[in-house]
Amino acid sequence: MYRSQQLALKYLAAAVALFGVMTVAGLMSAYHYVNPDFLFGVLHFNIAKILHIDTLIIWLLMGFMGAIYWFLPEEFGRELVGIQAAEILFYVFCGAVGVVAIVFIVVQYGGGDETALWFINQGRKYVEAPRWAAIGVVVVMAVFAYNVLGTAYVTRKVTGITAVLMVDLVPLLVLYLDAFPAISNMSADLFWWWWLVHLWVEATWEVLIGCIMAWTLMQLLGTSRRIVELWLYIEVALVLGTGILGLGHHYFWIGTPNYWLTIGGLFSALEPLPLLGMVIHAVYDAGTHHMKTTNRPAFYWMMAEAFGNFLGGGVWGFMITLPQVNLYAHGTQWTVSHGHFAFWGAYACGVLSVVYLVIQKVRGLAHLEGTLWKWSFAALNVGLIGMVGALLVSGFAQAFVERAIGGSTHDAFVAGQENRWFVEGIVTRFIFGLMFAAGYVALVWDLLTIGRRAPVLATAGAAE
Amino acid sequence: MSDIGLLQTALLLGLYVALAGAYGIVYAIARLQDASILHRTSLILYGLHGLTAIVIVAWAPLQVGWKVLIVASSGAFLAIPPITWRFLQQTHETEVQG
Amino acid sequence: MKFDDPAFWRAGAISTVVVMSIVLIMLTIDSLAVISPGGANVPLYTVINQHIDYKFDAKRGSDAPVIGGPEPLFGKSVDAASAEALIDKGKLVIQSRACMDCHTFFGNGAYYAPDLTKAWLDPAWETWQAITGAATREEAMVKFLMDPVTNRTWTRAMPNLGITQPEAEATVAYLKWMAAVDTNGFPPNFGRMRSKP
Repeated sequence: MYRSQQLALKYLAAAVALFGVMTVAGLMSAYHYVNPDFLFGVLHFNIAKILHIDTLIIWLLMGFMGAIYWFLPEEFGRELVGIQAAEILFYVFCGAVGVVAIVFIVVQYGGGDETALWFINQGRKYVEAPRWAAIGVVVVMAVFAYNVLGTAYVTRKVTGITAVLMVDLVPLLVLYLDAFPAISNMSADLFWWWWLVHLWVEATWEVLIGCIMAWTLMQLLGTSRRIVELWLYIEVALVLGTGILGLGHHYFWIGTPNYWLTIGGLFSALEPLPLLGMVIHAVYDAGTHHMKTTNRPAFYWMMAEAFGNFLGGGVWGFMITLPQVNLYAHGTQWTVSHGHFAFWGAYACGVLSVVYLVIQKVRGLAHLEGTLWKWSFAALNVGLIGMVGALLVSGFAQAFVERAIGGSTHDAFVAGQENRWFVEGIVTRFIFGLMFAAGYVALVWDLLTIGRRAPVLATAGAAE
Repeated sequence: MSDIGLLQTALLLGLYVALAGAYGIVYAIARLQDASILHRTSLILYGLHGLTAIVIVAWAPLQVGWKVLIVASSGAFLAIPPITWRFLQQTHETEVQG
Repeated sequence: MKFDDPAFWRAGAISTVVVMSIVLIMLTIDSLAVISPGGANVPLYTVINQHIDYKFDAKRGSDAPVIGGPEPLFGKSVDAASAEALIDKGKLVIQSRACMDCHTFFGNGAYYAPDLTKAWLDPAWETWQAITGAATREEAMVKFLMDPVTNRTWTRAMPNLGITQPEAEATVAYLKWMAAVDTNGFPPNFGRMRSKP
């Protein structure tokens, strides 16, 4: 195994561990809604939420990095350049994440000054980590980019997938620089913040997961490189073709010119079209292989990726993207419903697919199969869909009661939050969150044991 | 937009895309199984999608431009599954031959 | 056939991304002018010296901010530099206390607590002025921010974040300025309750 692949295993393990932290923090955040006195004076909703959404970003990033560190040495035919630096930085990265989390939990707030932003909490969603840690993230990503670009340079070997990956890494890194400024003007702050958030999760990350799924398809189904590269280019064209100006769907209400209502709404409304193509492709792959594969968990998680992306991003997104509807749905639990579904479908499922693929290789199994993964798959997906459905109900109630009828005041907000449908949705969300958490526990147990417990399923020697 | 109108429009828009997706999935399975009943089901699903589009155009309080977009997107949703399928078959066949 | 050739689609991907990126950059340059203080949609920070309202504009078909005559904050008018200092401080408070991880600003943030886009104009402050014995709305807001637990507004209370008096005043100034930003009508119907169907 290449050192890069050993590093990949560490990143994937850390990713799965952080997925657990995210789940715990999510349960806490959900419980705050159910019982507002929960940990009052100790750990409030905003800290629980910060832990939840920041670990979301980091576990997915670590998942992407793990996947890429795994696939790349085989792609280039050699160890990655600068791998030692990357190995050291892995521990630095994990240490930094730990310190940041502890400071969030124990210190929580500083004064209204730059010191607080440098060392405690920057208070901008998803990038709340203090500036010192943001510098650390830049260093980690820069070395990661160096590992990729440096190896391509040394080998003079560039495949279609690595070319797309390398081009994608540049905006990925540059966009992250918005994690640093503290612009006083809220309109300008949010304008640039959305460049980071949207052009990460609805553009550069889509390309990243596209590259990762391309490699996964090659290994899982034996699809040829020519075919995956062809489809990767089509995906990049369609997803970025709609997603780059789809950024405008975040520019309806932040003080930006009103032409964004048309431009953002239009391109955003087109975003589901390529996702339908992805679903068709997934059905084709599943059908032509008769759902047979040497690694069913990986395959099922990949199917979940295609369907989840379409449903969570496409269907749920389309409901709220037209500005006339968004005016009422904006900033409600409806948004939360869409966000959970889309992140899960677009990224989480894909990373889990890779994790199972890597486990098959590492344990040297011709076939990876088992029983527990099915329970985990069911509990995680049913749990997620249950949360999303519950939040949709709460979101409807909130948009209706608080915005459409109530006039969006403080009292209207309270009326929305106390509305019977809202409350039932919020409680149901917590219950399905518990199911999701149970699915996570099953996932971890399965990842630790699958292919090890039942020797009759495993064959000696390396996998094909 | 009136309050109930908001919720109804949003639900219709979600249903519109969901039915397009359902049509696409059943179309793909129909091509795999070569089953005419599935093919007919996919057409029914597209018909329901089209009906949703008509309701949106006729009733939803959206400006004309958005309604044009809905109609155009319906055309795209109709075409995407067969074109994607044909292209998938073509690229994979070229692989087998080449 | 050309469509079989990955090079065709590679060219398509590159040209699409380039064209869309150029359009985005052009629109960004235009938007930045509009959203800078003093631009078409975002007022200068000295707007905190004036009366601010939010009314339905029939011509536009949506709500729009209305800037009125002098209404100094905390009883004193401030110059441009002082106004900017207040706004800068207010934003630092908002970030350091992670307000955006409970509240929303222009609908962005977290949904555990109310949206603050038009918080300056919230009719509830009249009641709170009376309850807190404050002489003005801004005084009531400062009292609330400095002790939100004693002054809790409902079962889901805002925690005490150790906000000092100068920090609270800066935050209130920030909220007043924010209420004057033209958000294309968000939030809709502010303060106007509609009867249920």
